[in-house]
Amino acid sequence: MRAWRPFRFKSIHTSIAIAFSCLIVAVTVLLTFNSFRLSEEAVTDNAMTYTGQLVDQVNTNIQTYLDNMVSMSALALSGGELEDAALARMPLSSEGLERNGKIGKYFRSIVRSRDDIATILFVGENGNVVSDREDAEFKPAEDLRSQDWYRNAMDAQGKVVISSSHVEHLYKGEYRWVVSISRQLGLPGLPGGGVLMVDLKLNVINNLCRQIELGNRGYVFILDPAGDLIYHPQQQLLYSRLKSEAIQTLLGTKDSSIQLEEDGDRKIYTIRTNEFGWKVIGVTYPDELVGNKGEIRTTSILVGVAFLIVALSISVFLSFRLTKPIKRLESLMKKVEKGDFDLRVEVESTDEIGKLSRSFNLMIGKIKDLMGQIVEEQEMKRISELKAMQAQIHPHFLYNTLDSIIWMAEMGKMADVVKMTGALAKLFRSSISKGDELVPIEVELEHIQNYLTIQKIRYKNKFTYDIDVDPDILSCKTLKIVLQPLVENAIYHGLKQQAVIGHISVTGRREEDGIALRVIDDGVGMSEEQLQSLAEKWRHGEDGKGVGLQNVNHRIRLYFGEIYGLRIESELEEGTTVTLRLPEIR
Amino acid sequence: MRKIAIGGIAAVLLAAVVGAVYLTFFHSWADKSKPIVFVPKTVDGRIDFWQVLGQGVYLAAKEFGEEVQTVGAIAESDIEGQIALLEKAIAERPKAIVLAASDYNLTVPIATKIRDAGIPLITVDSGLNGGISRSFIATDNYKAGRQAGEAMANLATRDEPIAVVSFMKGSKTAMERESGVRDRMKEAGMSAVDETTYYSESSVEKAYEIVKQLLLDKPDLRGLVCLNEMTTVGAARAVKELGFDGRLKMVGFDSSTEEITYLEEGVIQAIVVQKPFNMGYLAIRAAVDVTRGRKVEPLIDTGSELITKENMYTKENQKLLFPFDAQ
Repeated sequence: MRAWRPFRFKSIHTSIAIAFSCLIVAVTVLLTFNSFRLSEEAVTDNAMTYTGQLVDQVNTNIQTYLDNMVSMSALALSGGELEDAALARMPLSSEGLERNGKIGKYFRSIVRSRDDIATILFVGENGNVVSDREDAEFKPAEDLRSQDWYRNAMDAQGKVVISSSHVEHLYKGEYRWVVSISRQLGLPGLPGGGVLMVDLKLNVINNLCRQIELGNRGYVFILDPAGDLIYHPQQQLLYSRLKSEAIQTLLGTKDSSIQLEEDGDRKIYTIRTNEFGWKVIGVTYPDELVGNKGEIRTTSILVGVAFLIVALSISVFLSFRLTKPIKRLESLMKKVEKGDFDLRVEVESTDEIGKLSRSFNLMIGKIKDLMGQIVEEQEMKRISELKAMQAQIHPHFLYNTLDSIIWMAEMGKMADVVKMTGALAKLFRSSISKGDELVPIEVELEHIQNYLTIQKIRYKNKFTYDIDVDPDILSCKTLKIVLQPLVENAIYHGLKQQAVIGHISVTGRREEDGIALRVIDDGVGMSEEQLQSLAEKWRHGEDGKGVGLQNVNHRIRLYFGEIYGLRIESELEEGTTVTLRLPEIR
Repeated sequence: MRKIAIGGIAAVLLAAVVGAVYLTFFHSWADKSKPIVFVPKTVDGRIDFWQVLGQGVYLAAKEFGEEVQTVGAIAESDIEGQIALLEKAIAERPKAIVLAASDYNLTVPIATKIRDAGIPLITVDSGLNGGISRSFIATDNYKAGRQAGEAMANLATRDEPIAVVSFMKGSKTAMERESGVRDRMKEAGMSAVDETTYYSESSVEKAYEIVKQLLLDKPDLRGLVCLNEMTTVGAARAVKELGFDGRLKMVGFDSSTEEITYLEEGVIQAIVVQKPFNMGYLAIRAAVDVTRGRKVEPLIDTGSELITKENMYTKENQKLLFPFDAQ
């Protein structure tokens, strides 16, 4: 099994595109995730800062209200009239009532000037009760003195006491939610003591808290130092224990933001404490940021996907651009493979591809040169080989002929000597002539005519011959000296050995696939076995019998191609026909 | 290989696009969901009980991020009006319907229709015959009655004559409260309880008339248990007017400023109050639970508190008795 290797594809284009894509996907995912994380953090931070500011604001406003109430009570106490009222032994005397009326009028003017005060009330230890109400029906003074605001103020000995939120029940039929600010007047035990109380409408605080929007579910609530709820939107649920708030934990926490888990719900508490010990607490749900988070996530993903698509398109385009010259080189290389060496690459750039193109051009040029050189060398080799073969023909024959001439001269057969010498001279003239390789068949026939003349004189009464060639092929070209070895062969191997006079006929015919020249003898012929051993020798290029034929065959094939050459047909005691096939060339 | 790679990239892109689109649109679908319809017995702004219950409803709506649409008749007795509103609500196919049925029996057919339409139905305060709703959130009136009976048993001696003034003949709430009161007093061994039940028809005037007549007929009456707010106020008025306050012990139901004033004055000794805020809150919570496929209890008792002059100003009870800031 082949080991899996990344980025091994069939094309560089794909490899580059995939490598780019992977890189881009990885980077985009990382960046998207990171930007999502960062914006999530930013949103959370913003939300926390915003909540902190809101809670600060609520806290400051409440502080202001309470401060106002405290200074108001100080103002009311400073006049000295309250002391008189508290000192009076007979508060219900006409003098006392007049004084009470005066004080009540003063209280009334304060309450009317502000819409955040519910009522102002003074209760003296002597049982004197003064309020801003002109004709209010009080509960008995005993009853009033048993209420928390009175007792707590007495306990605090002159310090300002701020109650939790509660329903004020001083007047008959009037039940108002208020926060009471009370303060003791004079010293406990001594005459002239009493408590002044200012009621701040809880509505004011409620509205402050209710106006604050902390997400969809968030809210603001207020705790007093004892852990009682001054305002909480879910007060009833808390009292019924349908919900709970970690009040003890919150009481022990300084101004900060903490995250707690309550009823399986995570909440962030932002705590601010004012001078009176009240804790203003903003509650936000981190899960609510999820709404925002979802939006951020959606945006991040959408932007990421958009970038991804653009980047991937660019990567495909880039990889295409980068690999285009390589692809062009590749296609050119294919053409070169098919043998076209005449092409050149346009060099468009100076980069690696440019250098490669230049090298490619150089290489193709070099190959082309080398190919030309090889063709030329082959040609040279062939020519020299042909020349060598042609050269082989002459010497042997020349010696024999010269021997025959000498012998005839000695015998005094002058006419034969003249005839033979003339034929020999013509024979050499034609074979040496010009050195052209191709000659018309006519010339070749003339050559064979001379040759046969010589042989006829040498082998008197051994054979007869005739030459019969179609006149219209006489001008066709043939290699020179191809027929002579065939005739030589017919004489030496076919006719010389037999006692009867033989006959050689040389024919030339135009046939379907070219020209066929035949040398036909009626000599001894060859058996099947002899023919086969001859073919065997030709195949192995051995010397010996038939060397001349082999040479002719070789030369024809070298020059005209493999389909041409010699064919030998022979039958023992009947004779041999050698057919020479040539293309028809004029 | 190349085709696989390109196919892979295309698949990843497609998945990313589909995911992003899904995220974008799924959120907006959720936001555009239909409201929960809340049908109280009355939308009359003067009746504290329904106002407070409505506050609980809206607090829950805010907490659970649901939209609540309140539709209701002006008069509690307008049963046809409520049925017509429910018909309209069904046509709008809300997420759920939270109903305070104005009639125990007459509202059943429309409730069946709601159920058959596949809309979750939650009943609050007043239920339906046969318990068609998925959850019923209300005060256990029998238990509340027993609380009142027990208070009376502590206020009066065993042989003192006691009378019970109910508010509506045939009202399930009235019957349950009454049997609670009577059972508890019987258990306490109170022997002189008037077997006759008086009905005020939920009218302050009628209650005043009846109780005045009753006191004139039976001046030795030492205890009076009144089963709803109007009855209690009317009865207290008569008791105070005829100077029976103090001698005759009164236990009432529900709260109003007038009732509380009588409590502070000592005309009334104890009142049993319900928790409408919790009722409204829990009803919406149950509706939300049903729509979100969570299990809900078929019956949720929101409980009741016995309030006396002594405990009326504890922080818990203050909030029950005075749910609003008086302006």
